[in-house]
Amino acid sequence: MKFSISREALLTPLQIISGVVERKQTMPVLSNILVVANEQGVALTGTNMEVELLCRISDVEVVENGEITIPAKKLSDICRSLTDSHDIEFKVEGDRVHLRAGKSHFVLSSLPAEHFPNTENEKNDYSLKVPQQELKKMLDATAFAMAQQDVRYYLNGMLFEISHKHLRTVATDGHRLALATFVTETGVTEDNPKQIIIPRKGVLELSRLLNDDKDVELVFSDSHLRSTIGSYTFTSKIIEGKFPDYNRVIPRGGDKFVVADRQDLKAVFMRAGILSHENIRGIRLNLSENQLEVSANNPEHEQAEDYIEVDYSGDTLQIGFNVGYLIDVMNAIDDEKVKLTLSNPNSSALVEAVNDDTAIYVVMPMRL
Amino acid sequence: MRKIIHIDADSFYASVEIRENPALATRPVAVGGSPDKRGVIATCNYIARSFGVRSAMSSAKALQLCPDLVFVKPTFELYRTVSRQMQQIFREYTELIEPLSLDEAYLDVSACKQCQGSATRIAEEIRQKIRQQLQLTVSAGVANNKFLAKVASDWNKPDGIFVITPKQVDEFVRQLPVSKINGVGKVTAKKMASLGIKTCGDLQTLNQASLTEHFGSYGLRLYELAKGVDERPVESNRVRKSQSVEHTFDDDLPSLDAVLDKSIDVYDELLRRYGKICDQYLVTKRFVKVKFADFSQTTLEESMGSYSRNWQNLADYTQLIETAWRRKGKPVRLLGMGVRLKEIKIDASTPQLSLF
Repeated sequence: MKFSISREALLTPLQIISGVVERKQTMPVLSNILVVANEQGVALTGTNMEVELLCRISDVEVVENGEITIPAKKLSDICRSLTDSHDIEFKVEGDRVHLRAGKSHFVLSSLPAEHFPNTENEKNDYSLKVPQQELKKMLDATAFAMAQQDVRYYLNGMLFEISHKHLRTVATDGHRLALATFVTETGVTEDNPKQIIIPRKGVLELSRLLNDDKDVELVFSDSHLRSTIGSYTFTSKIIEGKFPDYNRVIPRGGDKFVVADRQDLKAVFMRAGILSHENIRGIRLNLSENQLEVSANNPEHEQAEDYIEVDYSGDTLQIGFNVGYLIDVMNAIDDEKVKLTLSNPNSSALVEAVNDDTAIYVVMPMRL
Repeated sequence: MRKIIHIDADSFYASVEIRENPALATRPVAVGGSPDKRGVIATCNYIARSFGVRSAMSSAKALQLCPDLVFVKPTFELYRTVSRQMQQIFREYTELIEPLSLDEAYLDVSACKQCQGSATRIAEEIRQKIRQQLQLTVSAGVANNKFLAKVASDWNKPDGIFVITPKQVDEFVRQLPVSKINGVGKVTAKKMASLGIKTCGDLQTLNQASLTEHFGSYGLRLYELAKGVDERPVESNRVRKSQSVEHTFDDDLPSLDAVLDKSIDVYDELLRRYGKICDQYLVTKRFVKVKFADFSQTTLEESMGSYSRNWQNLADYTQLIETAWRRKGKPVRLLGMGVRLKEIKIDASTPQLSLF
């Protein structure tokens, strides 16, 4: 294998692909990037066995075809440290890979390409086209609520629900839930909606790839989601398991409607949060006519008390929340005003933007 | 002098299931995976045991031994709740509680004032309360240390109690079969038998040096246990770092095929053991150990990386075993599998409410 490539053409793909390659691996080949050179150019692939990312680079001069795997981090570090003034030449000699750029010369170890796991090509089950910007918006609006290391492993991911009239993303860690909907013709029949869980890592990587105005096609097979975005092909495993019935936990009976400025509300939460218990992070909301009092205290008997003007008329209510959950929602909403719907101290709060119905948020309270 | 009680619920999962569905009471019942899916028995009731059915046995084999066996899928959520209710009862007597799993715990009642400080009467009261409040039977062992308390709870099982007073310790251990010692498995027992050791009394005749010579670092511990000495405290906030299973084989496993074949049993046992503590710990890593016939050993550990994947995957373990085995590629005398754990901090007082 032998080819030359400009540093510029290589650097960005290398950095994006290195993002899925994990540092510590039991299988050494997984810390490598697969490099395939042929008439079409060069293709780079990285995987963590759950998410695979492939990039095709055509702006390259291939002298001799071939395929090999090269340590991802070292390759990416080398590429970053070089300057743009010279092209980089790759040449495989025996089991070593020689990299030359100007006066620099590196000899890297390699592993045979056959050792690299390839995701089998399954029969495509279903595909859906959505505008990239819409999908990105949905992912970014809900990803924060995914669980991180929950024993209920199906919560460490995001539910993609495709009904006959919408694509919906849902994420929850059991304490709060985020749901975003994009209304679209899906071609799915009304009585046969699909529910697919994409792992956390897959969701985060997919979101990073979505950045132009074109459509993106999501192709689902039995056990994978695949999508080609620009010169990248993203493949993620699907998590087996049943996602909880999210409809059941969206509150419907709230009778206390509060509208407030999002930035102001967030600022009040953040101030009070400073003196909440550092692990439990509970704050107390006291709602009364056009006023919300936010207070917190901690085991050191320090106290915070703050007030904000809100639109509210109705009975008073005292309710506790993990302040982190509230701040997360304030960050995820992209609107000037937010609306909170509450009912009693033991029932969840529904939070949404006033002028944007993309997403809704459900947050369970804390016992005071 | 310490007063330690070991409480062990009788066929816990099965008893809880029968309590929930009394129609099962007169039938052989096993909790575990179904026989058509390569499942394993977690627990079975005493009727099933009379047919030879045992914990960790494959469900298919159990069904052969006992064709009328009723299989019940485990409902861990329920066992956890009942386990917490039992601990609530323990807490009426002491805060020094060391739960070993959902169905087993050590209690240090040395400082307990109830029942005039009689550990035996405390144990009886606890058994009675569990019977009345939870409709379950537990067995209790009472002694001056953890080792003997645990041996004692097994003595009159099920629904029994056995007390080893300090005066009885010497006589009791002298006739105690070595197989009753926690850690002396089939293979070690066989080795002891070949040295003419059948009871702890026999074991007492060996000095520390020869015990170490025969049993390695475990020899020193054996020296103490043989005399009925065990200084380990009851640790109420003991945090496990890992859970593992090791099988030593009577005959060395000659080939990779044999190794992979036996791996399945080790894996099933690991699942069974983790099931008992799954409410308290999260798995962060999986690891394996392979000890070759020449006693050299190798271990391999793998971070779970992504938590969005169920760690319970046989293929991942056999892959690790295979990689480890290839380092030497020789006959194998021992296989081990385990998980590194992270404590799930469930503070009972946590005020956060849940959606589901």
